[in-house]
Amino acid sequence: MRLFKFIAINLFFYALLKAPGLLAGKPIPSSVITMYMFFIVVTVLLVMTITDEGANELFAPLRSLLEDPSRSLARNILFVLLPIGAALSVYYSAAEPAPPFELRSAHPAPPGAVRAYGKAYELDGLENPLRPLEREDPAAFKEMVREGGEVYFRNCLFCHGAKLDGRGHYAHAMDPLPMPFTGSDTIAQLKESYLFWRIVRGGPGLPREGGPNISAMPAWEDELTEEEVWKVILFIYDYTGNRPRSWKD
Amino acid sequence: MALPIQEIKWRFSRRRTWAPFLSACGLAMLLIPAASLQSAFASDGDPEKGRAIYEKRCSWCHGLEGAGDGPAAEFLNPPPRDLTFGLYKWKSTPFDEYSPSGEDFERMIAGDGSHAGISGWNGMSGTSMPGWGDVMGPEETRHMAAYMRSLSGLENAEMPAISLAGRIRPGPESIERGRVLFKDRCAECHGLNGRGDGAKKLRDDWGARTWPRDLTKGWTFRMGSGPEDIYTRVTVGIPGTQMPSFADPSSKKAMTEEERWDVANYAATLDEPSRRPIPEAVVKAVKVEGGLPLAHSDKLWDSAPEADYFLFPQIIAGEKAFTPSLDSISVKAVHNGNEIAFLLEWNDPTNSMPWDPKAVEVADGPLFPDGAAIQFPAGEVKGGRPYFGMGDGRKPVEIWHWRSPESEFEKDTFGVLEAKGFERMTRKTVPETAGFEARGVYDNGRWRVVMKGPLNHENGPLFEEGSFTPIAFALWDGSNGDNKGKHVMTGWEWARLEKEAPGPSYMWPLAAGGFVLAAELLWLFLKRGRKD
Repeated sequence: MRLFKFIAINLFFYALLKAPGLLAGKPIPSSVITMYMFFIVVTVLLVMTITDEGANELFAPLRSLLEDPSRSLARNILFVLLPIGAALSVYYSAAEPAPPFELRSAHPAPPGAVRAYGKAYELDGLENPLRPLEREDPAAFKEMVREGGEVYFRNCLFCHGAKLDGRGHYAHAMDPLPMPFTGSDTIAQLKESYLFWRIVRGGPGLPREGGPNISAMPAWEDELTEEEVWKVILFIYDYTGNRPRSWKD
Repeated sequence: MALPIQEIKWRFSRRRTWAPFLSACGLAMLLIPAASLQSAFASDGDPEKGRAIYEKRCSWCHGLEGAGDGPAAEFLNPPPRDLTFGLYKWKSTPFDEYSPSGEDFERMIAGDGSHAGISGWNGMSGTSMPGWGDVMGPEETRHMAAYMRSLSGLENAEMPAISLAGRIRPGPESIERGRVLFKDRCAECHGLNGRGDGAKKLRDDWGARTWPRDLTKGWTFRMGSGPEDIYTRVTVGIPGTQMPSFADPSSKKAMTEEERWDVANYAATLDEPSRRPIPEAVVKAVKVEGGLPLAHSDKLWDSAPEADYFLFPQIIAGEKAFTPSLDSISVKAVHNGNEIAFLLEWNDPTNSMPWDPKAVEVADGPLFPDGAAIQFPAGEVKGGRPYFGMGDGRKPVEIWHWRSPESEFEKDTFGVLEAKGFERMTRKTVPETAGFEARGVYDNGRWRVVMKGPLNHENGPLFEEGSFTPIAFALWDGSNGDNKGKHVMTGWEWARLEKEAPGPSYMWPLAAGGFVLAAELLWLFLKRGRKD
């Protein structure tokens, strides 16, 4: 039955949006869920009514409920329940209004240039100066990765975690959550120059859409040397088995 | 708490020299009964494969040789375990058995799901040790366990866990017996109400600072908070710390098996799950009539719902707080249209009052006063909130800052400040003349601090009935060395001024119901018209 399918598809997406909250304890804000569900319902409706037959079939059960004389009992019950349902939903939403939500981009567009360590870095074309060692001198590269690991575990562990999964031992108290480096959807999509920018300028260096006012990421320029930053970047790619995107891609 | 056997067995591992290490190993070997079955389980993993995993995953904290001295170690409390001693805190084998069970080893490494629901808490919750089960899988976990055992000569130790067969159900009689026992045996460290406020300076065998567990926060227990879990802890003790085994007959505080079940049943009732922080909690300031209370005991607070938040240490800039002692805060608020009052409650092992000899004894280094602060955006929030860490030059914040008294002859202090970033603070007003007041009371391991002030004042936060205002909190534990920028905090949360006294309005729901009904009638009317 087409109406049933329509409901099932929408419920499936709703469950997907609810899952992070129910399973991992980090719910997607309800205002975002409402917004997504609006577009999902509209899109599914559009797709399912693209042909006239489809539309007729989809609405047939509703039409029969409203017009079929033999179903007057069901119709009357529906007519009583609908206003009550509307009243209840307003009652509960008024009791628990959702706080305002600032949309935040996890990976905002970087600036063209970054000022740090008393220099200006053109991000366009900027490469990790230690990366060539990987091919030229694997032993020295390994040592650099090891040193980068020490930088990580003395500075980044607390938030980004011993598994580099963004779940350090203080992460549960933070919103937004620290970025994970595992998986293929964070650093694997970025260039090393992007990480350099994010590390040296930290939360306060983010553009407005990145949420500079709520990010707890320090500006590491004050505490790490330039070389330490490039080393820790080598480490987080090496540990997670991710490859940085390069300017040649 | 004199416990000779354990004292001797655990204390000799106090200094990191080879002699105690060797004797520890020797004793550990002696403790393994000659007849102990070498279960196939124990030799299941391959220590060499474990070593490779160890170097990649574990050496950063536990050190390349397993001595608990990796690069991260100095920033962590509890510190990473020194695996060469084979002395493990969380084991389920009897107190006189040195080695944890095979299952214990695997649980230590893989973690468990008992904290599911708090993001990231699947290992030793509240420490930097995560649960590795999702990364390693069962086979690699066994290799790791085999390698860990080989570091301290415990390859073949395979003792069963203590028996839980004598379990006594947590009925009212058992709980009452447990209450009496708790007062005598446990309150010395855990405090009368179990808030970990026995005010004793405790160190583990490696000299690291330890705090008695706050038993009202069941969600922070590392190995579960049910009566069975607590019974295991009371029976086994926490090796290497001053939590003894109460099954040890040579202890003056020893308890029988029944008594240990009673005390476990009672301890489990101390948990206050309603204070466990949940994501997206909102401080709802309830509207009340008349003046606002300055006393935390005022009945008016009962009408306000509580919001609970996790706290993280300030590790962003300046002097960082790597070893915090406070981890959550509970907040209530009331307002009367002109003024707003907040009640902040949090558990703190000491009152940090310098004339209290206990507080002085417990203090780590110099003793500072305790403190609490509430932060709001100063003025209207346009185009996003200010920087959560004390604002910035363009968007200042207002901070209400309370501090516990510094001497017996002084009162607690309260300041209203404007901040434009770290260490760019100016005192705003003389609080008393501008209608601000605060008062803190410490009782049995809990601070209760009321702060109140006028709702609308010059360049203060913008409060409007029915709308949300950003709010953030910070706490200082002076006996943990917290002072100035060294403290624990939340990020931006939300406070909301309720319009009327509790009980939502019925007008809008009725209007919505009426509207739908009208639409239905209109539809019927049109339908009928068409038929005619």
